[in-house]
Amino acid sequence: MTPQSWGDDLAGALCDLGLEPREARLIAEDSLAEAADSGSSPRDLFGPAYPYARKVIEAVRDATLPGDGPGSSLGHPGGVLLHLEGVQKRYKRRDVLRRVDLTVRAGEVAAVVGANGTGKSTLLRICAGLTRASSGQVFRAGRVGYVPQSGGVIGLLTAAEHFELFGAATRVASRRARSTGNLLASRLSWRPNPHTRTEQLSGGTRQKLNLILGDLHAPDLLLLDEPYQGFDQGSYLDFWQQVYRWRDAGKGVVVVTHLLQELDRADHVVDLGTGQVDR
Amino acid sequence: MLGLLDARRDYGYELGQRLAEAGFDDVPGGTLYPALLRLERQALVAVSWETSVSGPRRKYYDLTDSGRQALAEQVADWQRFSRSIEAVAGRSTIPTDATADGRSGR
Repeated sequence: MTPQSWGDDLAGALCDLGLEPREARLIAEDSLAEAADSGSSPRDLFGPAYPYARKVIEAVRDATLPGDGPGSSLGHPGGVLLHLEGVQKRYKRRDVLRRVDLTVRAGEVAAVVGANGTGKSTLLRICAGLTRASSGQVFRAGRVGYVPQSGGVIGLLTAAEHFELFGAATRVASRRARSTGNLLASRLSWRPNPHTRTEQLSGGTRQKLNLILGDLHAPDLLLLDEPYQGFDQGSYLDFWQQVYRWRDAGKGVVVVTHLLQELDRADHVVDLGTGQVDR
Repeated sequence: MLGLLDARRDYGYELGQRLAEAGFDDVPGGTLYPALLRLERQALVAVSWETSVSGPRRKYYDLTDSGRQALAEQVADWQRFSRSIEAVAGRSTIPTDATADGRSGR
């Protein structure tokens, strides 16, 4: 690979991830100059173009959060990514959701709690725009990544084929989609086997794939419907670490959980109650 | 990095070398340059391109006033933290590797 084609890949990847083409081009040229100056190829100095683009995007987003202090975005939420006002859902003359209000800004985590049948999944589907609220207002900004509670993966395909398929939906080249998918998998301590079909994976590993597919296009807002079911203890910790990594990178996260220990660290808690509301 | 740039302005490659000399493990370019970009976007460093004698243009990083201020704050934070650790660990009677068997560390 020539430095120039690496630079083109980087500029293309930065555009895919939402940077202005002119700015993407400038950063790519700067990177090529840095590599030339240090006497190594850009691939050796920075690594593959697409994963590097994600790091660059994180750096840029970190730094552009309003009120951001040096080195950390913690405690400095940014622009509004999701705003719900008086959202209600009625289904067959029963209230599934009663007046939910929620605002999630860049760099915030909101936890959704409630007993079974209190509409947690419905609420997330409304946030994702997959279900219409009966009344109330929903405002969304930026790109959304939605991870359903289960399903969302195709048994006969391998992990790499999923990365390519979901990458194609957001116009990411297949090679890039694969390398991003593998990078995200490594953060969950998983190394996808190129020959294993998804139906051969354990439930927990299938959920990891599900989670990665929601993050593949570097969304600004992640909507996670208990995506950790079937995770072992280590994976579970990796998952929450990933949630806070997203937050620190200035993303908004809405996550369904029933674990009280995680509520202390969330910026908002939406409590849907004890199940008084009929399903 | 702010500390190293406070000592003297520098360019990316050389800064990586100085980090390594300072005892940080080899910092990969994939980590170093995004970190510099972050500092640049936060206006903690100012950049200027200069042509080097040997050929390629070179990007120099200078600490700005707010960079110096951020450095001072972070140094103060660190000193507060290390004093607390020292107050606990310094009193500990557990021998360190070096004093226990005469070897220096690992």
